[in-house]
Amino acid sequence: MDLRPAEVTSILKQEIESYQGETSMQSVGTVLSVGDGVARVYGLEDCMMNELLEFSGGVRGVALNLEEDNVGCVLLGSATEVTEGDEVRSTGRIISVPTGDALLGRVVNALGDPLDGRGPLAVTDDDYLPIEQPAPSVVERQPVSEPLQTGIKAIDAMIPIGRGQRELIIGDRQTGKTALIIDTIISQKTTGGGDPSNPEQVLCIYVAVAQKQSTVVDLVRRLEAAGAMAYTIVVSASAIDEASMQYLSCYAGASMGERFRDEGRHVAIFYDDLYKQALAYRQVMLLLRRPPGREAFPGDVFNLHSRLLERAAKLADNAPQINPRYKAGGGSMTALPVVETQEGDVSAYIPTNVISITDGQIFLEANLFNSGVRPAVNAGISVSRVGGAAQIPAMKKSAGGLRINLAQYRELQAFAQFGSDLDKATQATLTRGEKLVEILKQGQYAPVPVAEQVMMIHAGTSGSLDEVPTTRVGEFEEALLAHMRDAQPDVGAGILESGVLSDEAKAAIEEAVGVVRAQLGM
Amino acid sequence: MIVDAVTARYAEALYRLAAERGGLEAVRGGVEQLAAEIAEPRVSAFLFDARVPATEKRSRLERLTQTFHPLLRNLVGLLFDKHREEVLRGLGPAFRQRYLAGKGAVEGRVQSARPLSQADIDGLAGAVGKRISKEVLLENEIDADLVGGVRVLVDNRLVDHSVRGRLAGMRKRLSSARVLNA
Repeated sequence: MDLRPAEVTSILKQEIESYQGETSMQSVGTVLSVGDGVARVYGLEDCMMNELLEFSGGVRGVALNLEEDNVGCVLLGSATEVTEGDEVRSTGRIISVPTGDALLGRVVNALGDPLDGRGPLAVTDDDYLPIEQPAPSVVERQPVSEPLQTGIKAIDAMIPIGRGQRELIIGDRQTGKTALIIDTIISQKTTGGGDPSNPEQVLCIYVAVAQKQSTVVDLVRRLEAAGAMAYTIVVSASAIDEASMQYLSCYAGASMGERFRDEGRHVAIFYDDLYKQALAYRQVMLLLRRPPGREAFPGDVFNLHSRLLERAAKLADNAPQINPRYKAGGGSMTALPVVETQEGDVSAYIPTNVISITDGQIFLEANLFNSGVRPAVNAGISVSRVGGAAQIPAMKKSAGGLRINLAQYRELQAFAQFGSDLDKATQATLTRGEKLVEILKQGQYAPVPVAEQVMMIHAGTSGSLDEVPTTRVGEFEEALLAHMRDAQPDVGAGILESGVLSDEAKAAIEEAVGVVRAQLGM
Repeated sequence: MIVDAVTARYAEALYRLAAERGGLEAVRGGVEQLAAEIAEPRVSAFLFDARVPATEKRSRLERLTQTFHPLLRNLVGLLFDKHREEVLRGLGPAFRQRYLAGKGAVEGRVQSARPLSQADIDGLAGAVGKRISKEVLLENEIDADLVGGVRVLVDNRLVDHSVRGRLAGMRKRLSSARVLNA
């Protein structure tokens, strides 16, 4: 990556040539007041909503309030360089970010400027897209039909996510929300071999809102170690950045994702997290003196999230014929927003808002997490409203049994705690439930391919594991899957290819269960 | 010139009324005289001192404006009634701006590194005025930082033809230049 000398000279030549030429008339204003990351500007009569403004110190801002005699704007940089009386120039450009393949593997801020010290992005002016774009209309969409495999057994089996869906990840702090995201990103490697030029590859965008910078660095390291960074963009507006950058970062990420979606590719975007984004938005809006509503959030905090999440979509195959904006049909953008709850309170303002916008939620519970069930997914209250349509038939069939068995187990669990005599059927249900809970446990950074998930869940629901000691289920799973990979590779391939669990495959799994149990002496 | 919304409203009302009643020039002269008086440090210190009772300010100001056009005297009374004495501070420039706008003219500044000749200023005013379809009254301001060329600021619009502006633009274009794979 080098700056070509000719390129520089040509710019210089153009600049020198046009020196005597016509100079355009710019709209300017004067800073009336500045503080707390917002500025009021006099003048700028033809300023547009969301227009990028340039302050004299090189700081940029976004116009958000167009009032009778002034323009309220948020600063996207340090306010210390801006003083009263400074000149402000309009740019005639709605705030926009670079998009495209050049961003893959990079860490950028909310304006698309690289943060990873790996030099400027190889993008052209055409690659810049406004951060707020209308979501696809009704006719330009189609229902969810393809699965987005997270590689997490509990999710893929019971709360399946389809491409183009919006699934909320909700839970208290320290319940594994970000871990779930990392696993999902790593798991996308199976879709296209981790090669971003493969059209089948699901590209990932992780938007870190008000996260600790150390967390972001750790995440990037993890993804790099897993070879997942090549198809991932990290948009970081960390805790040190201005509140304006924090709330805009989600829209910036969405625009980067839409570019791929509109080219017919598949994207998974993670907003981590929307509660902090709402806090940043609240801060900016209160400083701009917009009227506060419930919990002092501005009145449009619902729209803040709904217009963002509405941009996740599965495009219709004929979308390019309807709207020339789309280069190809069938692309998708799946949104997995995160909302952090306080003390498990899902009925707070922001969580209820986002729950009502999304197509389901994955609820992570601190109690489960602390009792060793990790991922701490509460299967009882987690739902996916549309993802079932995208599940492969084999998984759908095995997961049906899993849901029922687990529900029965949870119901009986309360009684079992009294420890008195239980009849045989109850005991059997409890044993089965214990094994299934054990099966759904999973280590971090170890996503499981869907075919292996099907085999393991089938083994659990068919009762083959009932006699395996609960504490050794993990060990058994490892051995069984290793055996299936080595001795019977065509079973897994068959499931993937046909999508169904044939009787032969079932028999092969049951036979393998016997072999492995004998091996392990269970 | 920054004119706040409240002052602009009072100036607009005064202008329209004066235009209707045919006393525009007299009112303009009065406003200019009043603005000059208020600009005096001793007067403004007295007039905008919160410790001085409004009645005292009012009686002094009424004595000062005795010979002025009745419309202007009424305005001063109204401002005190509405507790808007602050409007007096910006009334002069606000009225002047409105008066010029009524004649299709606008004031502006031309910044240059060295003083410009009157012919140059007139030429610039004519050229800029043609683009915004207004008569432009330019005032020359010296800013050695510009190095060369001129910057014309009119009506919240800027034409930057200075060496400093060109260099800044060039720097920006170079720093945002596309990077190509060698």
